[in-house]
Amino acid sequence: MGIVLSRVFQALFGSKEVRILILGLDNAGKTTILYRLQNEADDNIQTIPTIGFNVETLQYKNIKFQVWDLGGQTSIRPYWRCYYPNTDAIVFVVDSSDRERMAIAKQELMAMLEEEELKDAILLVFANKQDQPGSLTSTEVSEALGLPDIRNRQWSIQEASALKGKGLFEGFDWLVTCIKGGEA
Amino acid sequence: MFSLIAGLIRYLFSKTEINVLILGLDYAGKTTLLEQMKGIFKKVQGIPPSKIPPTVGLNVGKMDVGGCKLTFWDLGGQVRVRSLWEKYYADAHGLIFVMDSADVGRFEEARMAFDTVKEQGELHGVPLMMLANKQDLPEAISTADISVQFDMHKITKVAFRLQPCSGLTCDGVAEGIHWIVDEAKKRARPRVDA
Repeated sequence: MGIVLSRVFQALFGSKEVRILILGLDNAGKTTILYRLQNEADDNIQTIPTIGFNVETLQYKNIKFQVWDLGGQTSIRPYWRCYYPNTDAIVFVVDSSDRERMAIAKQELMAMLEEEELKDAILLVFANKQDQPGSLTSTEVSEALGLPDIRNRQWSIQEASALKGKGLFEGFDWLVTCIKGGEA
Repeated sequence: MFSLIAGLIRYLFSKTEINVLILGLDYAGKTTLLEQMKGIFKKVQGIPPSKIPPTVGLNVGKMDVGGCKLTFWDLGGQVRVRSLWEKYYADAHGLIFVMDSADVGRFEEARMAFDTVKEQGELHGVPLMMLANKQDLPEAISTADISVQFDMHKITKVAFRLQPCSGLTCDGVAEGIHWIVDEAKKRARPRVDA
């Protein structure tokens, strides 16, 4: 009975907290995305390379998100795994105009998806920096990252420009729908 | 050696695993059908139809039907993501093509997409089912007419079925899924020599 009540309570007031990791190579735009999501209107987000992590709690569509933005530089990527347990969703950010490092992004992503602790996490890819000339489309990015090789995980890709605030909420809507599932 | 034994054990005690690919134009109702199947076969409530966003990527649904472990891959149907479809052909044991029976304006486009899929060499011998979705709508075209418009008499596949259904009322969904599972079970996939 108590469980039922607390479920009802949760459904009504949305106290469910969802844990999200924002990952990607350095300079992909992870931190900008985090702060854009927190404050949609802020056009002037200045970030510095993250060494360590930024964490924010966001409230979106009755869901509380605990969003972890982890630094992307080579030297700190090995520490990503410390944050893997209990993750509901991975947001992987790529700089769509950085063609040279697409292969490295793929390598990092694929290695991460093999982690046991992340096997139930859904994947959202932001093909970021669409405002840059020569950026790859979402289809090109998905092929470059090998997303079609994924067989056991729900994934989606969204073209975005964190700088211009485009595409971010569309991506998050997808996340919310998938996480809430039938409870929505 | 160990892997051999492990493989044998797995072979003896595992259920048959069947991968079913769900394709079709955007807005045909693929994800809605997948969510409804979760309700029918897993007794968990799927996402309500009104809340389902267009798929750009992959939705995965796993359920047990007829003693088999089914994995559904529901891919996005928009033109720009259709190039991803072919990456899944080689691993599919069953194929479902969903069409919107009420959207006559896009029949030609649906027919072209359907033709490409059904003529894939990689999908040779894979049971194919066309789900004529949205039969609940008053303007929906009957399966008899669809069959003519899509030249279905020309389909040479051994296992083909045209199944009317509605993703909203769930009519015809379970029936179709049971059919494709039975067909996929019967047919060991022909080996493709590299």
